[in-house]
Amino acid sequence: MRSLAVVVALGCFALAVLYWLGTLQFGTSHPGPHHLHAIVFGVIGILALVWLRFQSGASRA
Amino acid sequence: MLLAALQGVSELFPISSLGHTVLLPWLLRWPVDRSDPTFLAFVVALHFGTALALLVFYRREWLRIAAGLARSLVRGRIDDADARLGWLLVAGTVPLALAGVFLESPVRRLFGSPALVSAFLIVNALVMFAGERLKNAAALRAEKALALLSFREGASIGASQALALFPGISRSGASIVAGLLAGMTHDDAARFSFLLATPAIFAASVLEFPRLLAPAARGVLLESALGAILAGLTAYASVAFLTRYFHSNDLRPFGYYCLIFGAVCFTLAVMKVIA
Repeated sequence: MRSLAVVVALGCFALAVLYWLGTLQFGTSHPGPHHLHAIVFGVIGILALVWLRFQSGASRA
Repeated sequence: MLLAALQGVSELFPISSLGHTVLLPWLLRWPVDRSDPTFLAFVVALHFGTALALLVFYRREWLRIAAGLARSLVRGRIDDADARLGWLLVAGTVPLALAGVFLESPVRRLFGSPALVSAFLIVNALVMFAGERLKNAAALRAEKALALLSFREGASIGASQALALFPGISRSGASIVAGLLAGMTHDDAARFSFLLATPAIFAASVLEFPRLLAPAARGVLLESALGAILAGLTAYASVAFLTRYFHSNDLRPFGYYCLIFGAVCFTLAVMKVIA
């Protein structure tokens, strides 16, 4: 599960960068950078890191 | 100002605020242009007022949740009810955020048809009736406390809010029904729904906040501020009423209202009285 959390986090951060730069256009209504999509994926990436933190806390306990 | 009061009430009552703000201007023949920058700025202000009212109403709960979230992050584990509720709300907000960014634009195209919006209002009623019937069918099952909800159930309840992207489907109605189907009481399902609404409405209004600062919006700043205050007051009164109402009542009266209002509007739309 810890490796899954890392993969999800890295994947989300990569998607966030691609949307921010406007390279990725999937699910968008107009061409160009999509900051809202980038922010959402950035936040989900951070949440995946929080999930990783909880996995580490649980394994220590 | 009527639109502001309507937004404050209908955002939290399970009757679809979006459906009402689309249908009522058509019914009353108000010259509302939904793509006008001044109207969009006004709507952002109304959402901000509504979110602020929810935050004030549940202020003690949100303080406990924030402290619980911080504690769990420091300890690296979730070991108290406040932290658990906080992470349940996070789990419920993520699916809505994803649905919002990917589905809002395609769904927005449906706003132009009063018949379709009315039909969704009828669907909203049927969802509430079905939820109550299924809840009654499972009445012998032990009712699950909010603290015992799994993260998967929390995420499912949050995802159900995405149905409200369709104008006519109520966000609170969908999430209360999802809560009932997860085994919660009306009381807990409504509380979880209102807590879920706070970050969703706040995030929407914060992300759209630049619209309030646009040059075109300066002419309606006073109206927007008054609208936000009125929406906030009516939203506060609504959540105070609904939290008491759901102690001993269910969703069916709202279902009957949506069914009748939706059927009347659908008939008028089909007869081309509203278009």
